[in-house]
Amino acid sequence: METSIKSKAFEQFSEAAETLANPVLQEWKAKGGRIVGYFCSTVPEEILTAAGVVPFRMRATGSTGTEESDAYYSSINCSFPRHCFNQALTGEFKFLDGIVCVNSCDHVRRIYDNWKRFVPTDFIEVLSLPRKTGPDQVGWYRDELAMFRDKVAKYFGVELTDDAIWKAIKLHNETRRLQRKLYELRKQEKPPITGAETLAVMVAGTAMPKEQYNEMLRELLDELTGSEGPGGHRARLMIVGGILDDPAYIQVIEDQGGLVVADSLCFGSRIMWVDVSEEMADPFQALAQYYVADRPSCPRMYGEHDNRARYVKDMTRDFKVDGVIGERLMFCDMWVVEHYMLDQDMKADGIPFLKLDREYITSGVGQLRTRVQAFLETMGR
Amino acid sequence: MAKKEHPEMARYLSERDWFTFLREQTIALAEIPEMQLQTKTLDSLLEMYGRIIDAVYNEKPFVASYYCLAPELLTAMDLPYYMVMQTPFLASSVPYLVDDIDASEAIGLGNDLCTAIRLSIYYVEANLSPLPTCALNLLYPCDAAPLLHEVIVRNERWRDIPMFGCDPPYYMDDRSLDYFADQLRQMGNFVATHTGRKLDLDRLKETVEESNRMFSLWDEYNQLRRNVPSPHGWGIGGPQAFSQAWVYRAGMKEGTEWFQKLVDIAELNVKSGVGPIPKEKIRLFWFDLLPFGWVMDFLPWLEEEWGAVMVMDMFGNFPYTMIDTSSEEEMWRGLARRNLFDAPMVRQARGVADNFSGDIQRIVKDYKIDVVVWPGHMGHKDGAATVGIMRETCRDLGVPFVHLGLDLFDRRYSTPEQVKDKISEFFRAMGLG
Ligand code: SF4
Ligand code: SF4
Repeated sequence: METSIKSKAFEQFSEAAETLANPVLQEWKAKGGRIVGYFCSTVPEEILTAAGVVPFRMRATGSTGTEESDAYYSSINCSFPRHCFNQALTGEFKFLDGIVCVNSCDHVRRIYDNWKRFVPTDFIEVLSLPRKTGPDQVGWYRDELAMFRDKVAKYFGVELTDDAIWKAIKLHNETRRLQRKLYELRKQEKPPITGAETLAVMVAGTAMPKEQYNEMLRELLDELTGSEGPGGHRARLMIVGGILDDPAYIQVIEDQGGLVVADSLCFGSRIMWVDVSEEMADPFQALAQYYVADRPSCPRMYGEHDNRARYVKDMTRDFKVDGVIGERLMFCDMWVVEHYMLDQDMKADGIPFLKLDREYITSGVGQLRTRVQAFLETMGR
Repeated sequence: MAKKEHPEMARYLSERDWFTFLREQTIALAEIPEMQLQTKTLDSLLEMYGRIIDAVYNEKPFVASYYCLAPELLTAMDLPYYMVMQTPFLASSVPYLVDDIDASEAIGLGNDLCTAIRLSIYYVEANLSPLPTCALNLLYPCDAAPLLHEVIVRNERWRDIPMFGCDPPYYMDDRSLDYFADQLRQMGNFVATHTGRKLDLDRLKETVEESNRMFSLWDEYNQLRRNVPSPHGWGIGGPQAFSQAWVYRAGMKEGTEWFQKLVDIAELNVKSGVGPIPKEKIRLFWFDLLPFGWVMDFLPWLEEEWGAVMVMDMFGNFPYTMIDTSSEEEMWRGLARRNLFDAPMVRQARGVADNFSGDIQRIVKDYKIDVVVWPGHMGHKDGAATVGIMRETCRDLGVPFVHLGLDLFDRRYSTPEQVKDKISEFFRAMGLG
């Protein structure tokens, strides 16, 4: 990607975001390390890390078509699982030692059913994530995670003690703290990192061992702290939506002069804005509390829209955002309704809001440019 | 004192008038036994409309709920209920449907969100849905249903109405059953608190037992549909039975009487070898709701043109597991099983894809099915992601499978003519009919 950041660490992050099995992962694999792919950010990476397995957040980076998966999916399905399953069928995910799914949305949860039947994989699990966020649901997910621990331990032949889980929780919280530091820098008038670059850093965090990632991120933070970006942008923007893992998409927006300084994305702030509690007696309770109730939710969780709207509004204030873009993959029922509501919430507070539908693989760039330009103009920028 | 205005009742009252008009049409054909039963179905529907209208205008408690949220509970508490998704599910023959679909798009919901949800959001936001005493929100089987209810939670006219949603587990095991049974129990207590009606367990037991009688008659009726020719096609069966057992008369003895009549009529047809058309040529399994928005432009044609009889549909068949009422514990578990594991559409769409393939295998075998039709309603995204599995299942069974691609409610998505062409082409290619 185009960047003005001169940093070895950033180069590696950028490369990781542009590939599936990046060099760090390849090296890990070459040394006999194991990697498990997971769909949706509500899967507890910590349990995999504790087992010595690298959790890899599934994407379909580099996919060019859906010829193979078209026999399993339909044209009214979200393009993310269609591309992803296509790559599964063509063997792009051979570097994985297993798959963990969750009933995240109607499109992605069927990856489990299709993968189980049509892509030979020994370790394939699905977690049952509640819709509500109350104590009963935390309790349900707590038991899910404890059972998941047993399966991981058995399959990978490791002992997974509570201490090992706590150690992983602390390591992942450290990742979150470092990522929040990076976001802090974006509050500056002239942020030293763009929205596209930030997304690359965040995506890379889901595709390599956390110790290594944290080390590299510390290095990048040292390099960026105290520096300034070029400035001169027409507006400060926030982006809100579901799975967006392609920095090039944000790059197109930024090329029109709107600097993306904040987000509510599940490859973005939602996975690190709060920590897993380190104060509880039971690590599974702590993880369930985090994944079901405490972390900023997406519309998959019921009864939480007001909290989600507040989260976006707080960010627009703290990051001095001029306008919000709601991005959504076509055919996603959750985000179309969420953006319908968010549009009203933003308008009530006088915050300009633009809804953008897109395909998973960035296309229709001309139209995107036009829409963003028009949006900036309506904001008087 | 001036009577309170109820602008939110506008659509509901028009629907009632529309069904009153339709009922007149069935009376004109009263010598046909099936038509007599249709009249009775419409009577029960009009009674339900009447109960809600009475509750609204006379300030009596009533509930917004769903068929798959243990409606027997509400019957036992003598509480009428209506479904927020009622218009698309039960009343999409209304003449203003297309205009309302356009209005739902115009408020900013796009056109790829399930039309049933889009319409229902529109009715809530435009103040065209009755405002209940309390609401039981549906958090399954798809993504769109909970999002509709998220809009309801936030809507300014609804937000102060007490609401409860039962959280759905994803699996089909004992742990899930216990969890969901507990959700239903909490829901029962919630309704009692907010309506002032007591949940009497003896009364619930009676209601569930009545419901069991209905379900076992339904099962008996389905055995009759296994005959060649099938005693009934699309015109009567699944959808009407569903409306009695799950919506208008859940756990009521009038419902059981209705089912008895249905069985009697079907039995007579079987005895005399009569089906819905003179010559049944293709036995078809329609794996979805009927295309309610344009039913008359398509299904009669299917019978006339191709001799294709809809022997079974998604809402007409599921495991009729009886609820054990011997203990309170078992009763809640039984209700959980029926509403989460058995209920049509919920059983397929809520969990892993196994019921898609399992139901096809069972129904194709039991009903001597010649062709499985996956209508591919634009809202059923999880089903759309299961077409490969369904096709494979049919291939193993040696039965043709066709995926159409349509909108059950909006005739403009794929027009009836386009759907006819597609299915004709398929039948010809398969040498059917
Ligand atoms: S938007 Fe929500 S459900 Fe979808 S992948 Fe992200 S976290 Fe999971
Ligand atoms: S964008 Fe929506 S439909 Fe697509 S994968 Fe994400 S949550 Fe699912």
